[in-house]
This record gives sequence, C-alpha cells and structure tokens, in this order.
Amino acid sequence: MATPAICIRNLTKDFAIGMRGLKLRAVEDLCLEVGDNEIFGLLGPNGSGKSTTIKIILGLLEASTGNCEIYGKPSKLVDARRRVGFLPESPYFYRYLTGRELVRYYARICMVARAEIDAAVDSVIKLVGMTEAADRRVGTYSKGMLQRIGLAQSLVHDPQLVILDEPTAGVDPLGSAAIAEIVRELKRRGKTILLSSHLLAQVEGLCDRVAILHRGKLVREGRVDDLVEEKDAESLVVQGLNAEARAAVEAEIKAQGGRLARVEKPKLSLDAYFLKEVHRREIEHVTQQEGEEEL
Amino acid sequence: MNITDSFTRIRLIAGTTFLEAVRQKFFNSLLLISIALVASSTFFQQFDFGTGELKFITDFGFGALFFFGSILSITATTQLFFNEMENRTALTMLAKPVYKLEFLTGKFLGAHLLMLCFTLVITVVLSGILYWREMVLLERLGNELLSNGSLIRYGDVFLFGFLQWMKFGIIAAFVLFVASFSNTNLYTIVVSFFMLIICQLQYIARDTYSGMEAGWERILVLGLGLIFPNFQLFNIGDQLVFDVEKAPAVSTVFQITGYGAFYSIAFVLLAQVNFRRREI
Ligand SMILES: Nc1ncnc2c1ncn2[C@@H]1O[C@H](COP(=O)(O)OP(=O)(O)O)[C@@H](O)[C@H]1O
Ligand SMILES: [Mg+2]
Repeated sequence: MATPAICIRNLTKDFAIGMRGLKLRAVEDLCLEVGDNEIFGLLGPNGSGKSTTIKIILGLLEASTGNCEIYGKPSKLVDARRRVGFLPESPYFYRYLTGRELVRYYARICMVARAEIDAAVDSVIKLVGMTEAADRRVGTYSKGMLQRIGLAQSLVHDPQLVILDEPTAGVDPLGSAAIAEIVRELKRRGKTILLSSHLLAQVEGLCDRVAILHRGKLVREGRVDDLVEEKDAESLVVQGLNAEARAAVEAEIKAQGGRLARVEKPKLSLDAYFLKEVHRREIEHVTQQEGEEEL
Repeated sequence: MNITDSFTRIRLIAGTTFLEAVRQKFFNSLLLISIALVASSTFFQQFDFGTGELKFITDFGFGALFFFGSILSITATTQLFFNEMENRTALTMLAKPVYKLEFLTGKFLGAHLLMLCFTLVITVVLSGILYWREMVLLERLGNELLSNGSLIRYGDVFLFGFLQWMKFGIIAAFVLFVASFSNTNLYTIVVSFFMLIICQLQYIARDTYSGMEAGWERILVLGLGLIFPNFQLFNIGDQLVFDVEKAPAVSTVFQITGYGAFYSIAFVLLAQVNFRRREI
C-alpha cells in the first residue's frame, strides 16, 4: 500500500495551564490515516481539538505522546513540510502588502524557482478568483477575500498536501461554495486535502471521509455515505401521483411484505435553496446588463 | 539544509520585518523627536561656549543617540516579535519549510536594519549641525585655532555611530532572547530595560572584581561580567572626534566590533534554544 499522506498514531496533547501544573487534554489518543488524493474532513464542535491536531501535523506544536508523519516523514522535521500548504484559522497577513505581493512573498519563501514565480502567482490568484482585487492592499480585504488570498498563498508552491483550518468559517454561502469547488479542483489535480470544520452541512457533500472529534477524542471515522446512510431503509421520490394511485402503491408495498415507514416532502437544504436563488438572479442580472448594452 | 536558500529566506523575513517597522508611527515619531533634540542643542549657543560649544553639541548628540536608540531598539524589537505572534503571521510562516532559527535571525536583522537607519539619520543630522557651528565659529575666531583644516574629525562621528549601532544589535538580540520565553509585551520590555541598565553599569562589577580576593564571590562577579556584555566599551566618544593624539587604534575598533557581534550571535542562539520549543 502507498504511504498515507498523513499518519497519526496514539497522539495525545496536553497543554499546561496555570501555575500549579494543571493540564488540559486537548487531544487524546488519536489515531488517523489520510490517504493520498483524498478529501478528508476533521469535524467537531469548537474546542474539540481540530486546530491542535492540525498544528501538531504541521510541527508547530509538539505532541505530548504519540507520533505523526507526513508522507512517511516525522512532522517535527522542516523537510516534511516542503510539499505542504496551510491555511490557518481566520488568517491574518501583512496588511501593507497587496494580495499579489503577499502571494509572491510566500512563493519566494517556499523557494519557487524565479522563472516560474510569475506564472505560479497568477495561476493561483486566478484559481481562487482574486484576479480583480489582487493589486489592492490586504488591509482592505473582507473576511472572504482574506480567506481566498490565504488559500492562494497556501497553494502557490504546488503542494501535494493542503491543510485548511476552518476554510469556510465566517464566509457567506456563495464564498463557501466557491471554496468547496476549489477543493474539488485540487482533488482532480491529484492533491490530498485535509480540512477542518464545525459547519457540518457544508462539508457533507465535499469530503470523501471524515473524522468526528469531541473533547479531543475520536468519536467516529469513515466514509460520509457509510456514516449517514440508514442501512435498512430506502426512499422513493415520486411525482404526479393522485390519492387513488398512492393508495394502490401503499397496498402494493404491503402486499410485497414492506412497511411504509414515513411519508415526507423532499426538501432542499437552505444552503442549496439560497445558492439556487442567488445563481438565478445573478444570471438575470447579467443577461439584463447585456440587453442594456445592446440597446 | 541549503545555505543559499536559507540566506534567501532570512533576507525575505528581515525585509518584511524592516518594512513593517518603518511603517509604524512609533518609529517615525521617535526619529523626529530625536532629530529635534539633536538640533535643539544649538539653542545653548547663547552661553557662548567657544570651542566648548562643539564639544557640548557632540556630547548632547551622542547622548540622544544612545538614549533614544536604546528605547527604540527595545520597543521596536519587542513589538516586531509580538506582532508576528499575536497576529499569527508567525503561524503561517513557520508552517512553511522555514527553520525557526531563520525566522529569529530574520527578525533580528530586520530590527538591526531599522537601527541602522535610525543611527545614520541621527549621525548625519549631528554632523550637519556640527559643520554649521564650526563654520560660524571659525568665522568669528579666525583660523588660528586650526591645526589641520578642521576642528572636528567627522569620520569619528560616524565611527561612534557605528559602535552605537553594534551595541543596539546586542540590545535587539537580548530582547529577542527575553521575548523567546515571555508571553507578554510589557514583561519583555521591562526585563530588557533592566538588562540594559545592568550592561550599562557592568563596569562596576569589573571594578569590584579586580579589588576582590579569590573565592566564590569573585567567581560569581566574574560570571556576571561575562554573561552581560559591558556597554561602556562602546562609549569611546571622549577619545573620538576631538582628541588628535588619542585617536582610537583601528585594532580597538575591530575588537569592539567583534565583541558586539559575538554577543549578538550568542543571544540570538540562546533565543533559539527557547523558541525551538515554544508553542506557536
Ligand atoms: N495554547 C494553548 N494553551 C492552552 N490551551 C489550549 C491552547 N490551544 C488550545 N487550547 C485548548 O485546547 C482545546 C482544543 O482547542 P482547538 O484545537 O483550538 O479546538 P478547535 O480548533 O477544534 O476549535 C480547547 O479547549 C482550547 O482551549
Ligand atoms: Mg480551531
């Protein structure tokens, strides 16, 4: 089997708090494996240890016990981070640089070859949809734009593993959908993505596998479908049935030995509804503008 | 670890550190105050010091350089370090393939570059004022005072500036050392000021040492004298600028420079020992 992108074994992290050697256990005996070219979600409420786990993976914190490897290299080594990109939780950058200067700066820090820098910077800025605002100062950016430029700086050196800490926190649904689309694109390009979130609905359709943390402990881990599927039930979504026909169907179900568990109207998630509406208006707006231009 | 790559990263980090510093109001206002103070020394001319006036202006200027330079070095280095920690830009940086020693060295060099700017501006202003007063004085008193074309050796003004700058380097390095284990801005600044005073008064320990009998107390004082650099070494201003016979030997200047570089490097390395295990 190929080396996993991330391999965490029996990881425990205690923080010393206060003077009298009091300890807070932020992560407890965690074991995880993230395979290559996988979108992996680290889920859990606030304070469940997601950021702590991520920082240990990146070698920013030292594990109290247990160990952690990135593509087979201990994450304590600087060398392990050579092909890793990281977007911190609510990122903050040097305010006086423009977006483009910032991405360029990190590209040089990551030793992107001189000949390739311009192309690399342009392409990630385009990927995150920041081309228009790229020459404005980072200090003037909105939350969503900071998140996007943060994503750009994490991708500029073409990392194989991308780690995103709460990439959609504080971003509107439109922005979140855009970020989700970028993550899918990265997967298509063969990258591995680890992302953390407390907004479960947003990552449901995105992650291949998820792990759920609670108070530092692993509660569940597995493929999203396996976790949420009701194994013993199926739903039929039916249209254009009158009352008589429905009674006939119900009778037939009974005759076949089934049991009608519940009848409900299928609902769109609010997120999906919002996106659909906004998208429709966006198209109307554009066609209207085009119409005006023609006149 | 590739050395040229390492230098590139250090240069980049030092560059942003420096840029961030010169954009702060604090630096600019301190610079203006210092210039104003150095310039204000000319108002004392009503006392008509004669050639003593030049000496007064020089001492005043050197004093202002040391005083404000020390304040700036301590506060700016602290601020630059904690800004990076509190804004979590250090998190983004250290999640990249960047060694913590590169980060610290970059911070140090950025602060040191800031001090170079400060020192240069002050010494240029001081030299300008000295030149102006010298011209006025010569006009009034005639040329009989002159032995070799000028009353003042301007090169020495800059030499003094350079030595002060080396001293600011040590200060910046020990501020980083204090910051590496402290959690707050204020604590770092207070402890650093205490260290500055100790280094400034360190010659007292040396004097005591030479007067002491052998014993553990003597070893203790010797130890203190080695841990804390002796800042008096850098104040050779009295011999500079005016005294033609007692111009400092080149080897002395090199020795002091080496002494400064040694302590700066030592403190940055000590900072690294703490910083390596620090949780970002
Ligand atoms: N540097 C620290 N010192 C002490 N406690 C910390 C530190 N960092 C995080 N914690 C604690 O560890 C727990 C997990 O935090 P975190 O990993 O940030 O959670 P999440 O990212 O899932 O919201 C929290 O209870 C938090 O208070
Ligand atoms: Mg978090």
